[in-house]
Amino acid sequence: MIWMILLGICSGMLVSLSRQLNGRLALSTSAMQSSFWNHLVGFAVLVPCALIAGSLWPAEAASAHWFAWVGGAIGVVFVASGSWLIPRLGAALTGGLLVAGQMLSSVALDLLRGVEAVLWMQLAGVALILLGVYLSRRG
Amino acid sequence: MPARIPTAEEPRRPHPVEILAALCAGSLLTLMLLSNGMMAAHTTPIFASLTAHGVGTAVAVLLLLLFRLRTPPQPRMAASRAPLWAYLGGISGALTVVVSTVVVNSSLALTGTMALGLAGQVVLALVFDATGALGLERRLPRRNDLLALAAIVAGTLLIIFARGGAA
Repeated sequence: MIWMILLGICSGMLVSLSRQLNGRLALSTSAMQSSFWNHLVGFAVLVPCALIAGSLWPAEAASAHWFAWVGGAIGVVFVASGSWLIPRLGAALTGGLLVAGQMLSSVALDLLRGVEAVLWMQLAGVALILLGVYLSRRG
Repeated sequence: MPARIPTAEEPRRPHPVEILAALCAGSLLTLMLLSNGMMAAHTTPIFASLTAHGVGTAVAVLLLLLFRLRTPPQPRMAASRAPLWAYLGGISGALTVVVSTVVVNSSLALTGTMALGLAGQVVLALVFDATGALGLERRLPRRNDLLALAAIVAGTLLIIFARGGAA
């Protein structure tokens, strides 16, 4: 269990590490170029992983919904945004504001889709996040 | 895209455009996770990440070509060449998928994985800022930056556990 907890913390640290590296690359190239390298290098790493895990083309892949294919296209813009923001805001504020946007939109999505959740906790969470965004703007 | 990179030591207030850009990008992340999650449920998490990176590479090439055609080539500004390790962000990105898949399938489930991941992300980001790690500028967060982060983290935890509580 303790190992799983450490691994969970690691998964978040990898996000910050990746954003920091991409941000450094963007300083010498551009945000979009760093996003390109991020995806290309990640792809190269994942090919052997997929081969070990099973196959490069599972049988179900062909019948996937079209929306399941567009995540990568969205990810390119997301990674480029992170590389653009991190030299301007620093790692902590960049990460915090990205999480803020992610949580606000995911609550909206949950409400739209009628996902089961404790409503008052969601609304209190939204209020706290909005307060955080407001505070980040204060001098 | 403006090439203005802040060089001042003292941190400044974020510009509204930067805040808006971050919030929009965060919303994109929600859509991306929805899409990748759909592919992962239909096939496997590894295949979902593989296709996301493959499609992402192709789209990035298209966007880069588009930008190149639209703007006349400019002399490169004198920024130093990137060290080779700066190209390795994709490795930790790809590893994130593998690691979080393992944790999600443990007793920590999605709620625990998200909460721990948030903690790891924020703590390491603060360490990076405080030390100026990996070639980015060192900046000590302002008091309001820390208050903002604390409020965002607290709100995020509430939302994460709001889902866990109903399940």
